[in-house]
Amino acid sequence: MSIVYGLITGLVFGFVLQRGRVCFNSAFRDLRMMKDNFMFKVGLLAIAVQIIAFLAMAQFGLIQLNPKPLNLVGAIVGGYLFGLGMVLAGGCASGTTYRIAEGNTTSWLAGLVYGLFAWATSAGFLSPITKAVSGLSVKVASNSALYLGETTGPTLATVLNVSPWIAGLVFAGLIFAYLFGTKTTPRDTAAWGWVKTGLLIVPVAMFGFWSSTVSGRPYGLGITGGWSNLLSAVGTNTPINWEGAEILGIIIGAGITAAAYKEFKLRVPKNGKTFLYAVIGGALMGFGAVFAGGCNIGHFLTGIPQLALSSILASIFFVLGNWTMVRVLYGKM
Amino acid sequence: MELKPTKSLDERGEVCPVPDVDTKRALNKMNSGEILEVLIDYPLSKERIPSNSTRDGHEVLSVEETGTSEWRILIKVK
Repeated sequence: MSIVYGLITGLVFGFVLQRGRVCFNSAFRDLRMMKDNFMFKVGLLAIAVQIIAFLAMAQFGLIQLNPKPLNLVGAIVGGYLFGLGMVLAGGCASGTTYRIAEGNTTSWLAGLVYGLFAWATSAGFLSPITKAVSGLSVKVASNSALYLGETTGPTLATVLNVSPWIAGLVFAGLIFAYLFGTKTTPRDTAAWGWVKTGLLIVPVAMFGFWSSTVSGRPYGLGITGGWSNLLSAVGTNTPINWEGAEILGIIIGAGITAAAYKEFKLRVPKNGKTFLYAVIGGALMGFGAVFAGGCNIGHFLTGIPQLALSSILASIFFVLGNWTMVRVLYGKM
Repeated sequence: MELKPTKSLDERGEVCPVPDVDTKRALNKMNSGEILEVLIDYPLSKERIPSNSTRDGHEVLSVEETGTSEWRILIKVK
């Protein structure tokens, strides 16, 4: 049943990602390079609404909040390397995954290398590095029954010692103020507006967190673990779990959507150098994501809505890594 | 009326955000009134290039579908 749940989550997620062109690499990069905040606002809207949605779901016992422990080295180093990598690869974890289904050969390569390095970092030849820093992980006492376990990863709520509801409503309120109080870069050419895209991500995230929880994985949408799982399923005959099925679902869902809208095409860059970048980018993303305890989707769409400090920190470094590599590759615009 | 572009960029096959970057750079270097033709096959660029070019003050003359997921965009430099 967990495979079915994962697959359904992925199918719908793939549809939303493809139609909405949801890519956090673009979101961060365009903010700086193109002075374009369209995709950034999509992400933030999803986060703000999800803060409230997850609190409600936890209140009703459908899920338990489960923010990741804080590991400073992991979040900073892993986050930064991941940020560098996604620019080289031409897409973040979700962007690369859904574009595989559109026929982008660079995404095929980046995705595969991403998966291999994620697997290597969690269970393979790079895992000693991960184990070496795992001792630095910090958990705190849960200050609410909404959290899973007696101890949990630190969040804005636990460190300020306020109820998760108060912290959540305030934080969401601040995000809404930014979203609707500032100018949004227009993109009338897009099939979906930013509000629609951001809102459509929310039910996917909610169903994902619930169905993953009942499948034994008390967490929401993620990408990295799924790739590791798929590769270990191929390499060592490990059974496919919820997250692996989610990735398959994303690729299939995005593929059907792309085909339906006639956007599937085999795309090959003219310069071979681009493939080299895709490989290096994929490797940095695979290592960085595992080291940071999650990729942009895990942290952005599951961690930050739970106000996890680990996710906030990792995300800041995703952005810094992204902006650094944009400067290196594209110079001043 | 067939407009002859002053300059043509073939960005087909290129990864995100290369088509957008090359377009913006080309527009910055061209003279007012000249026409830039950009050939792309990336759906996101089909949305972003016209949007950002218009926002930068240029005039998007046309976005023509020339094949499956392939477009030809004509932009007049401001």
